[in-house]
Order: sequence, then structure tokens, then C-alpha cells
Amino acid sequence: MDFIVVVQMVVAAVVAAILYTIIGVAPGTDETAVLAPITLAIVLMGVHPAVILCFFISAIIAKKLTDSIPVAVAGIPGGVMAAPMVEHAVVLKAHGRPDLSMRKMASGSVIGTLVAVPVSLFLASALVPLAPVIKVYANQLFLFGAVFLALMAREKVVSLLSIIPFALLIQGLRHLYWGIEAVPKTTTVFTSFFLGITIGPMIVNILELFVSSKRKELLRYSYKEITMREDAKIKGIPNPFKILDRKEIASSTLGSLIGCLTFFMSPVGMTIFLGETLASRIKDPIQKAARAISTMDALTNATYVSGTLIPLIALGVPLSPMAIGPANALFNAPPRFTLEKNLHHVMSTGDYILPVLIGAAIALAITYPITVKYSTKICRFVFRLVSHEALLGLFFGLVVMLAYMEAGFINIWGVMLVALVAGTINRWGVNYGVQFMTLYCAAYLSKLVVF
Amino acid sequence: MSALPEQKAAAAVREGQVLAEVWEDVVDVKELLLSLLISTVGALGGYIAAPNTPPYPLVCGLIGSVVAFVVCAVLFKPKRNLIDEEV
Repeated sequence: MDFIVVVQMVVAAVVAAILYTIIGVAPGTDETAVLAPITLAIVLMGVHPAVILCFFISAIIAKKLTDSIPVAVAGIPGGVMAAPMVEHAVVLKAHGRPDLSMRKMASGSVIGTLVAVPVSLFLASALVPLAPVIKVYANQLFLFGAVFLALMAREKVVSLLSIIPFALLIQGLRHLYWGIEAVPKTTTVFTSFFLGITIGPMIVNILELFVSSKRKELLRYSYKEITMREDAKIKGIPNPFKILDRKEIASSTLGSLIGCLTFFMSPVGMTIFLGETLASRIKDPIQKAARAISTMDALTNATYVSGTLIPLIALGVPLSPMAIGPANALFNAPPRFTLEKNLHHVMSTGDYILPVLIGAAIALAITYPITVKYSTKICRFVFRLVSHEALLGLFFGLVVMLAYMEAGFINIWGVMLVALVAGTINRWGVNYGVQFMTLYCAAYLSKLVVF
Repeated sequence: MSALPEQKAAAAVREGQVLAEVWEDVVDVKELLLSLLISTVGALGGYIAAPNTPPYPLVCGLIGSVVAFVVCAVLFKPKRNLIDEEV
């Protein structure tokens, strides 16, 4: 590989690690909403494929390491994926050991990454022969995925019922754009609808400020109170294998392995299920919480990495919640990438190793020591300096721009419509996974329901 | 701990300020709307004003987004009270 490309990869990994350390700490930032738009922008800028991959790997690892910081320091999740950990972090806090949370979680994350990178690369090469079969049945698989995720969801009935109407909304907007010649017939609007789904809950929340009956529930009369504690001092470079005891290392490794094998399942669901299972037999509350928290963090990190790498390397079709969500731009980012020509097609299996290793190594080297040693300071810095208003504005602005870019001014309103519907059904329990799978099979499904 | 949390909170809210919880955090409604406006103008403005050959529009749009983000972060302060806890 070119020396210049390697330098670009290093720069991209460093930028991603720093950027997503800050974003990871900010409370309430959903993984898909913060990773997808920026990755997409980088893809569309025409950066070298290896650099894109390196950026993304560094970003997810840094994001995963740092979204545990507000959990440990303040008991609020830094993202959707960190939510299952809050309960156990609160236990440790109540027992006077909040300092344990951060170190155990960050060290679990490191184990997750160390396990997931080689296992994913290996598992992916084993699955390569499946790729031609899967490509032929991609539409059917996405439809099956939507139904499967709907059946796995908390709200099964509404999730199932929403699939066809939501597909019609998407396909209907596409035909509208073709009909009034907003875009040529060869352009299938995809990305901005995807982003509309990701910012749906936020848009619904903002619009509710203008609905008198809802407004009352949202109004607050004081600032958000966040209780913080000081860091315990750690000298030298922290070593995850010393911070975790042998049993914690074992269950983190096991959790990560299972996380890699179940890359096609919902990461949040697997995290809750496995984390609780592997820690359920321990009596001592502190030990139990420490075991659960390190295992869960290892597992989420492993599903992040494997959910991105396995579909990318082996299939070229986004068949995992991770691939169809945050990593979507690596698979489908028209006009540069489509399902027929994306990272999977332009890179061979061997090409993946270097960018993945550089991305993972840099993210771990920068973020892990900082997270373990200065979690409170970073948290304080971000909480004091970066307002929620500015963050919401950033993502809103990006989505509006990308909507305009894909299909002009009308599409800004089209995306708002998608966001409004997606956000509302999301509120009712139709999760992102179901909505993304539906988006992917919208064209196929719409034809199926014509009688 | 210096002051009671309630006193701190009461002191922080200005006259006529409307606060609301949006996406897990507290915001000032007026400032949020201004922030959405500034960010849209930054991102879309950058995209439209750029020379019409790829990748300039996207790059300028991204630069516009970042500038708008910094402006918003400077103009609008977080609505969070950080309370130190003794360990």
C-alpha cells in the first residue's frame, strides 16, 4: 500500500479518536445519529477506501470507550449502547466504588477489541463463499430481517404492522420525486431517508415543543443536575489485564467471542442478555456489578467491530444492525457506493488488515489511557463547554445539507416527513433496526403488495 | 459542597428563559431554535455558495457546519449544573 495512504490512515484515525472521544462523552448521543452522517460525508468526499475504514474503526472504538465515561462519572448513558450498564454503575457508586466502573468498563472495551479484530477477520474469510448466494436474495433477506427484528422487539405488533406502511412512505416519496422531476428516474433517494430515520426521535421531540399538550411534559424549571466525583489517581500507563481479575478477563473474552458469532443480532439486546447471564450467579453485589459491567462493555465493543467487519468483508451487504445503522455509509452511499459496488468490492480481504489494525491501535492508544486516567476531567470539560443546543444543531444542519444534496429543496421536507413518521413509531417501540431493514426492502416490498 | 443544589439551580435560570428536555438533556428553547437556524444556514449556505464542482460543495458545507457548531457552542452555554460529590 502507498506510503501516502498509510499517512492518511494514521491522520484519519487520530482525528476520529479525538472527535469521537468528545462526542462519546456528550450525553444522549445515539451511535447511528453521530457516526452515520460524518462517515457518509467522508465517503462522499472521495477519500481512499482504506482511509474511510480506518477512520470508522477508530471512531467506533473511541466512541465505545468514551460513552462509558458519563455512565461511570454521572450515572447517565453517553449513548443508547451504554444504557444497559447504568444500573450496574449505580450499584458500584452506591457501594462507594464509582472509581471501579470506569476502569472496569474501559478495560472490558479493550478486551472486546482485542478479541473482535482477529476473530472477525477470520470469521469473515470463512463466510466469503456465502456471498454470491446472499447477494441474489438480498431483498428477501432484508424483508426477513425487518420481520425478524420486529418479532424480537419489545413492541412486536406495532413493529410488524409498521413495516408495509413505512415502506410505502419511502417508495411513495421516491415516485413523487420522479413524477415531478425533482430527480432523474435513475436516482433512488436513499441516504437522506436513512438520516431522516436516525434523527427522527430528535425531530419529534423538538416539534412537540410546539404542541401545547406535549409542551407541558417537556418544560423544565431548572438546569440538569449532574453529580460528579473526582478521579482516583493512577500512576503510569494503565494495564487492562491488571485492572480486570482473571474471572473478569475470562467472561469478557467469552462475551466478546459470542458477540462476534452473533454479529447479526441487536447489540443492545445481546449485551443485556449475555451480560446478565454471565454475571447472574455471583452473590457479592460489587463483584457482580464489576463482572457485568466489564463483560457488557467487552461484548458491545466486539459486536461493534464484528457487526461492521464481517458483513463488509464477507458479504458486501449490510446484514447486521451495526452495518445497516452506523456503518451504513461503507455499504451504500450513492453515488459513490452502492450495494453492487462498495468497500467490499474495491478491497480484497488482505486489504482490510492494515487499516483495521491502524484504526484499532490508534484509538486504543489515545483513548484508553485518557479514559482511565482523566475520565472526570474530560467529562467536566465536555459538560461545561459543549452545549446540547450546539450538538443538536450540528446534526440537524448536516442532515438538511445532505438532504438538499441528494434531491434538492423538496427533499429537505421529504426527509422531515420521514423523520416525523420514523420518530413517532420509534417512540412506540419500532426500533431503528426494523426501520432500516424496511428502508432497504422498500422497493421490493411495495411491488409485493400490489394486487 | 458550597451551596445546596436547589439554590444553585434557581440562581442559574434567567428571567423569561424557557427550558425544556429534548433528547435526554435540558435546553433553552429559544437558543435551540437559533442553533438549528445557524447550523442550517452554515451547512446549507456553505454547500450552495461553493463552486459547483465536486467535492467543493460538500467540503464547504462541512466547513460551514463546523463553523456554525463553534459559533453555537460559544453563544449558547450548557444548561447543566455540575455538583461535586465527595468520595
